[in-house]
Amino acid sequence: MSSGQAELAFPGDGEMAHRMREYSWAGSPLGEPGGWPASLRTACRICLTSRFPMIVWWGEDLRFLYNDAYLPLLGNKHPALMQPGDQVWSEIWDIIGPMLDSVMSTGQATWSEDLLLPMDRHGYWEETYWTYSYSPLQDDDGTVRGVFTAVKETTEQVVGRRRLAVLQDLGALAAQARSVTEACELVVRSLEGAADVVPFAAVYLRGPDSNPVLARSSAPDAGLSPVPGGPGGWPVADVLRHGQPVILTDVIARFGELPSGGWKTPPAEAMVLPLTGGADGAATGAIVLAASAGRALDEAYASFLGLVAQQTAAIVNRAVAYQAQLRRAEELAELDRAKTTFFANVSHEFRTPLTLIMGPLEELRARIDPADAVAAGELDVIYRNGVRLGKLVNTLLDFSRLEAGRMQASFEPLDLGAFTTDLASVFQSAFDRAGIGYEVDCPPLSAPVYVDREMWEKVVFNLLSNALKFTFSGTVRVRLSQEDGHAVLRVTDTGTGIPAAELPRLFDRFHRIENVPSRSNEGSGIGLALVRELVGLHGGTIEAASTERAGTTFTIELPFGREHLADENVAAPGDSHAAAAAARPFLLEAMRWLPPGTLPPGTLPPDTGDEAPGLTAGRVSADGQPGPDAVTRVLLADDNADMREYLQRLLEPSYQVTAVTDGQAALEAARLSPPDILISDVMMPRLSGLQLVAALRADLRTAGIPVLLLSARAGQEASIEGLEAGADDYLVKPFAAAELLARVRANLDLARLRTHHARWRAALLDSLHEGFYLVDEDGDIVEVNAGFADLLGYGPEGLPYPPKGPWWPDEQADPEGHRLATEALARLMTDSTGSFTVPLRHRDGRRVWVTGSFNEITDPEKGRRMVVGTFRDVTTEHYAVQREAALGAMGLMVSRAASAAQVLQEALGELARLWRASEVTAATWTGADEAMVTSTGPADSWDALPAGLRDALAALRDQPVLTPAADGPGGAGIRLEHPAGTLGIWVDLGPGRMFSAEDRTLFSLVGGYLGQALHRAYQTDQQRETALALQRAILGPSRLPAGFAARYEPATRPLEVGGDWYDIIELPDGRIGIMVGDCVGHDLGAATVMGQLRSACRALLLQDASAGAALTAMDRFASSVPGGECATVFCGILDPGTGELRYSSAGHPPGIVIHPDGRADPLEEARSLPLAVRARIERTEASYVLPPRSTLLVYTDGLVERRGRPVTAGIVAAGTAVGEAGPASLEDLAEQLMTGLAPAGGYEDDVALVLYHHPTPLDVSFYAESEQLASVRAQLRGWLRSCGIGARIAQDVLVAAGEAIANAIEHGHRSRPGELVRLRAISTANQLRLTITDSGRWQATPPGDRSLRGHGIALMRALMQQVTIEPGPAGTTVDLYLRINHGHLA
Amino acid sequence: MATSLELSTRPGPDGTAVVTAVGEIDMSNADKFQDALSQAAAGGPVVVDLTRVEYLDSAGVHVLFAHAPGLRLIASPLLVPVLAISGLSDVTSVRDDA
Repeated sequence: MSSGQAELAFPGDGEMAHRMREYSWAGSPLGEPGGWPASLRTACRICLTSRFPMIVWWGEDLRFLYNDAYLPLLGNKHPALMQPGDQVWSEIWDIIGPMLDSVMSTGQATWSEDLLLPMDRHGYWEETYWTYSYSPLQDDDGTVRGVFTAVKETTEQVVGRRRLAVLQDLGALAAQARSVTEACELVVRSLEGAADVVPFAAVYLRGPDSNPVLARSSAPDAGLSPVPGGPGGWPVADVLRHGQPVILTDVIARFGELPSGGWKTPPAEAMVLPLTGGADGAATGAIVLAASAGRALDEAYASFLGLVAQQTAAIVNRAVAYQAQLRRAEELAELDRAKTTFFANVSHEFRTPLTLIMGPLEELRARIDPADAVAAGELDVIYRNGVRLGKLVNTLLDFSRLEAGRMQASFEPLDLGAFTTDLASVFQSAFDRAGIGYEVDCPPLSAPVYVDREMWEKVVFNLLSNALKFTFSGTVRVRLSQEDGHAVLRVTDTGTGIPAAELPRLFDRFHRIENVPSRSNEGSGIGLALVRELVGLHGGTIEAASTERAGTTFTIELPFGREHLADENVAAPGDSHAAAAAARPFLLEAMRWLPPGTLPPGTLPPDTGDEAPGLTAGRVSADGQPGPDAVTRVLLADDNADMREYLQRLLEPSYQVTAVTDGQAALEAARLSPPDILISDVMMPRLSGLQLVAALRADLRTAGIPVLLLSARAGQEASIEGLEAGADDYLVKPFAAAELLARVRANLDLARLRTHHARWRAALLDSLHEGFYLVDEDGDIVEVNAGFADLLGYGPEGLPYPPKGPWWPDEQADPEGHRLATEALARLMTDSTGSFTVPLRHRDGRRVWVTGSFNEITDPEKGRRMVVGTFRDVTTEHYAVQREAALGAMGLMVSRAASAAQVLQEALGELARLWRASEVTAATWTGADEAMVTSTGPADSWDALPAGLRDALAALRDQPVLTPAADGPGGAGIRLEHPAGTLGIWVDLGPGRMFSAEDRTLFSLVGGYLGQALHRAYQTDQQRETALALQRAILGPSRLPAGFAARYEPATRPLEVGGDWYDIIELPDGRIGIMVGDCVGHDLGAATVMGQLRSACRALLLQDASAGAALTAMDRFASSVPGGECATVFCGILDPGTGELRYSSAGHPPGIVIHPDGRADPLEEARSLPLAVRARIERTEASYVLPPRSTLLVYTDGLVERRGRPVTAGIVAAGTAVGEAGPASLEDLAEQLMTGLAPAGGYEDDVALVLYHHPTPLDVSFYAESEQLASVRAQLRGWLRSCGIGARIAQDVLVAAGEAIANAIEHGHRSRPGELVRLRAISTANQLRLTITDSGRWQATPPGDRSLRGHGIALMRALMQQVTIEPGPAGTTVDLYLRINHGHLA
Repeated sequence: MATSLELSTRPGPDGTAVVTAVGEIDMSNADKFQDALSQAAAGGPVVVDLTRVEYLDSAGVHVLFAHAPGLRLIASPLLVPVLAISGLSDVTSVRDDA
C-alpha cells in the first residue's frame, strides 16, 4: 500500500494512525486496507479522527482497532492493535463478550450505562465504570462483520455520585442527634449503608483525660485490635494531639483484613481525621475511615473523606451544643419559677413605694413651670407609667387576694342604673376622641341590686376599656335591663370581634387573643379574668357573644336580693363617691392608644411620642458626632413610646438607631435597608414581634439580621416561643440597661461568627462536582455552587435567578427543550421529590444536557418550602443515546428507501430532525462543476441556493472526508464519499447556534452511516437499472425510427416483459423491418422465450431482408426453443420512401392500414400457421403500398381479443379508433388506442402494438445560410409529394416554409452565425404541420410593413391556415398548419 | 447547393426588353435578379417572364416591387397566389400564362 493510500485510510498524526499505517496488513486476517469493506474503512477513519475513545472490533474473533483517545483506558495493555478482543480484555470478557456476540448475531445496537468493569490497568484491581455503545458494522453485502464501540469512562461520575450521596445522607442527619452517643451512632450507621465508599469507619471521642475513647465502630470484630507485632493500631491519639489527618497505607499490616465493602480485596489504605470545631478549638474526637481497595486513595478520595470527617464533626459538635443548650434551658426554667414566686411575694410591696412616688409626683406636676416643657414632658412620662404600674400591681394584688380568698367585699343595695350611668359617663370623652359612637341606656330598675362599688367599677371600666381597645368604628352601647328576675348589663361593641375558637377561653387568666386588630397590644390578659371573678363574687354570670369583624356583646346577669350573699358582706347603702379616681388609670391607658387630637385641655397631658406608625429618624449621639460604633445600625421597634424613647437614649451613644412604632414599620424599614441588629418588642399592633421575626426570616435579604426580642412575658415557654420563631435572643422586661447592651453586643459578635459558618458551608457545596441549587417557594434560585457555574456559566454573582433563568431553552429555537424544561420546573414546584433530564443553554451558547434530582425540604429556620437539587452534565450520555436513536432511525429509513436519491432525501430530513435544523442541504458533485442539489428546503438546483450556502458547500469539497466542518456558529457541514462522486452536506442550525464536540462526533458517525447506506442503495439502484435495461433489451428498441410509435403493456406486473414483443429494425438498405409477435403465456418463462425469438427474428431480418424467408427460418428456430411452438408473428419490411410494405404473417392477427378518409384495409394476405406447428411450411410474402397519410397498425391479440366478442369485431374497433382519432400525433394516437381499447379491468393479456404513419416525418437541420435554401426546398417538395399533396398547395407550403426559413437565416446570421436551423414536417390523415426552429431572435414587424420581411410574414399568414411565431430565449419557433381536404390532393 | 436561376434579357416583339427567368428565386439569388432587372429597366419598360420560375418568395417579390411601375409580368398559375397576396398584381399587370 502506498503511503498516500495509507494516509487516506488511516488519517491523522496520532500514535494509532502511525501504528495502523505501519502495520503489516498483508498477512493479517483483515488483509490490505484497499480491499476492506467501505464500512470498515469509514469506521476506522471515524475512530482515528475522533477525540472520543472508540474501538472497532472486526471479524470472527473481533480484532481490536482503537484510537489515541482510548489509550488511557487501555493502560498497560497497549499496544494491542489487531489482537483478538477476548485476549485484550480477557478479564472482562465474561461481561462484554456476550454483548458483542449479541450485536454480531442480531445486528441490533446495544448500550450499557455505568457498567462496572473491574480492571487491572494501573497495577491494582480497580473499580471502573464505563458507558459503552455497541453498533453493528456491516460489510458491503449488509452482513454484520464487526462492532463499533464508542466509550466513555464514567468512573468519576459514578464514584462522585456515591460520595455525594454519602455526604447528603450525613447532612440529613445534622439536626437529629440529641446526644453525642446518638450522633456517633447515626454517623456510623449511615456510613455502614455506604460500605462501597467507606468500607470501615470508627469514631473516637476525646475522653475526660484527653485520651481517645471508642464511641462507635462499623465492624465490632475488626479494625479495633492491632495485629500483634504489627506496626501498631490507629494513630488516634496523635491525630487528637496534632489536629492533622494521617493517611495509612499499611492497614493490612496493622489490622489484617478489614471488611472490603463489597470489593474483591480488603482495604489497604485508610485515613484518621480529627473531628474539629469543638467549643474550645481542640478536636472533639477523631474518625477512622478506610478507603475501598477499588479506588486509589487519591486527592479526590482524601478530600471526600475530609468532608465526611467535617460532616461528622458538625453532627457531633451540634449534639454537644444541643446538650449544653438543654442544660441551660433547664436552668433558665428553674430561675423563672423562682422569679415568679418572688414577684408574687413582693408585688404588694410595690404599693408603698408607688404611693410615695405618685404622691410627690402629682405635687411636682402641679408646681412645675409650664415653660419648662422638657421637664413637664418627662414628668408626664413618669406619671403615666406610675399610674399604669399601680393599676397592674393592683390587679395582681386583686388576684392574689382572690386566690387566697382574702378579697373583702362589701355589697350595698344600689340603684344600679344610676351608678352604672355614672361610671359609664367617665369614658364619654375617650369615645368622642376615638370617633366612636357611645350610647348609655341604663334606666332605673324596679329594685336595688347588691353590688360592691369598687368591684362593679372594675367590671364596668374593664369592659368599656376593652370595647374601646377593639373598636375602630361604629358604636359602643351600654344597656341595663331587667330580665327574668335578674339585672342584666350588656356592653355591645361593633369592634373586631373574637374568633369562635377563642370564646371558651376568653375569661381564662393570662389568656390573650392573638392576631386580632386592636389599638394596642399592651395588656396583661387578666382584665376579663378579673371581671369574671368579680361577677362571680356577686353571684352573677358573664357571657360573651361575638361575631368576627362585626362585634362583641358582654352580658352580665346579677340576681336581685341578698339571699345569695353572706350576711357579713352585706352593708347598708353608703355615700356614693366619685368614680374618677378609680377610672383614671383606665382612661390614661385608653388615651395613650388614641391618636393625638382635640383633647379637652387639662384633662390629660398631650402625647409627645405617639405619632402615626412610621419611621422616627435615627439620631446620632447628643454631641452631634457619630458614636464609637455609629456604623453599626440598630433598628428598634416598640409600640410603647416611652419604652422606645428610653431604649433609644440607651443605645444611641453606641449605635446608629432607627426607631419605629410597630412590627410592620420595622419590617418595611428592615427591607429598605437591613440593619445590623433588630431590637423588637413582642407585643405590637399590626405585626407582632414574633410575626416580624418570621417575616424577616422568610425574606432572604433580611433572613440574616440578628433579632433581639423584648417582652414583658416571662417564663420558659415564652422564651422558647420567641427563639423558635427565629429570634436570636430574648430579653424579659424589666431588664437592666447593662444587660441589654451586653446582649446587643453579643448578638452582633455572633452574627459575625455566623458568616464563618456560612463560608464553610459554601466551601462544602463548591467541592461538589455536580451543580447545586436552592430554590425558594416562589421558584427563584437563591443559591448555587461552583459546579452550577461550571455547568451553565452562571455563578452566584447573578443571584437570585428567576425560575426560568438565562439558561432556559429558547421557545422559538428549541421548542422541545423549552417544553421539557417547563415541565421539569412544574414538577419541581409541586412534587416533593423527582428527577429530570433537560437541555439547557450554557452562557457561551452551547447546549448542555443535564440530569438531576430535587428534593423538597422545609427550611428549618423559617418553615418555608424550599427545593434543593443537584444536576450533572449528561451531554455525552445524551448524545450517545441520541446517536443510537439517530443511527436506528437512519437504519429504518434506509431500509425503506427505494433509491439512493430517496436515501439522501430521507437522511437529510433525519439530520434536520436530529439537530432541529432549519434546513439541511446536500450537494453532489459527479465531476462537472455544477452540483446536484437535494435539500429539505425549497431549492432544487445549485443556482437556486443562497450564495452563502453555495460557498459553504463548495468549501466542503476541500474538507477531509467525514470530518465535520463547524468552525463558526450557524451551521456545520461534512463531506462524504458519494458513489457517484463527492457529497457535501450542510446543516443550517440557525443564527448563533454552535456545534458541540459531541455534535461533531455524531455528525461523523451519522455521516459514515449515510455514506454506507448510499453505497448500498446506489448498488441496488444500479442492479435495478440493470434488470430494467435487460428487460427492455429483450422487449425491443428503446429508440424508434421517425414515424413509428410503439406500446407495450405486460399482463404480469412488476415484470416489464411478457410473451408479446415488437421490434423495429433499420435495415442497411434504408428499409425498416417491422415485427410483432406473441409467444404462448405471459409470465417470465414466456418472456425468456420471447427474448430468444425476438433476437433470432431480428438477426434473420438483418441477414436476409425478406419477411417470408425470415418466418420460414423462424419455424426451424422456434421448434428448437422449448415453449417457442405456436408463437404467432407478423413480419413486414417497409420502404419508407415508397411506402411499400412486404409482409408475411405466421398465424398472427392481420395488420391494418387506415386511410386518410378513415377506411381500413386489413393485411390479410400471406397468412399461414403459427411458428413450428408443422415441420415444413413455405411462407409466402405479400406487398402493400401504403397510401400517403395512411397509418399502419400492427398489434398482438391482447389489444383486440375480448371474451364474448369475435376477434374480427375487435379488429374493426381498432381500425375505427385510429380513423376517428383525427389530427393527433402518433404518440398521442398510440396512447389513445391503449386506453381507449382497454377493457374495464385493464388488459388481461400482454399487449404490443406498433404504429407507423406514412410518410415518415421530415426532419432536416442545416446551417443558417441562404445557400442551403434550394436543397431544403427540394427535400420538402419531395416529402410533400409523398404526402400526396398537389403541386399548387405544395407551392403554398414551400413559400410559407421558405419565408420562415429565410427569416431564420437572416436572424441566425445576425446573432449567431453558423447556428443550425431545423425544419420538421409531420402529416396526419388530414393535416400538415411544419415547425421551423432557429436560435435567433426575430424583430417585431410593424403592421403594414412593406419591407422584405414584412412581405414574408404576410405571405406565411396568407398561405397557411394557422401560423404561430414563438420567440424564446434560445430562439424562435414558427409553426405552420394546413388542413388538407380532397381538393388539395394530387 | 446554390439556388439555380438563369436570367436572360432580350428585346421582345414590340421592342420592350423581356427578362426571362428560369429556376427559383429566393434570398440567395435575389440580388442577381435585382441586377438583371435594373439593367433592363434602364432602357425603359420591362417585361418579366416568370413562366418557368418554379419558386418565388418575398425576396423576389421585393425586387419586383422595386421596379413595379411600368413592369409587366408573365407567370404560371403556380406563382399567382404569391403575386396576388403580396399585392404585386395590383401595381403591375400579370398575365397568367397557363
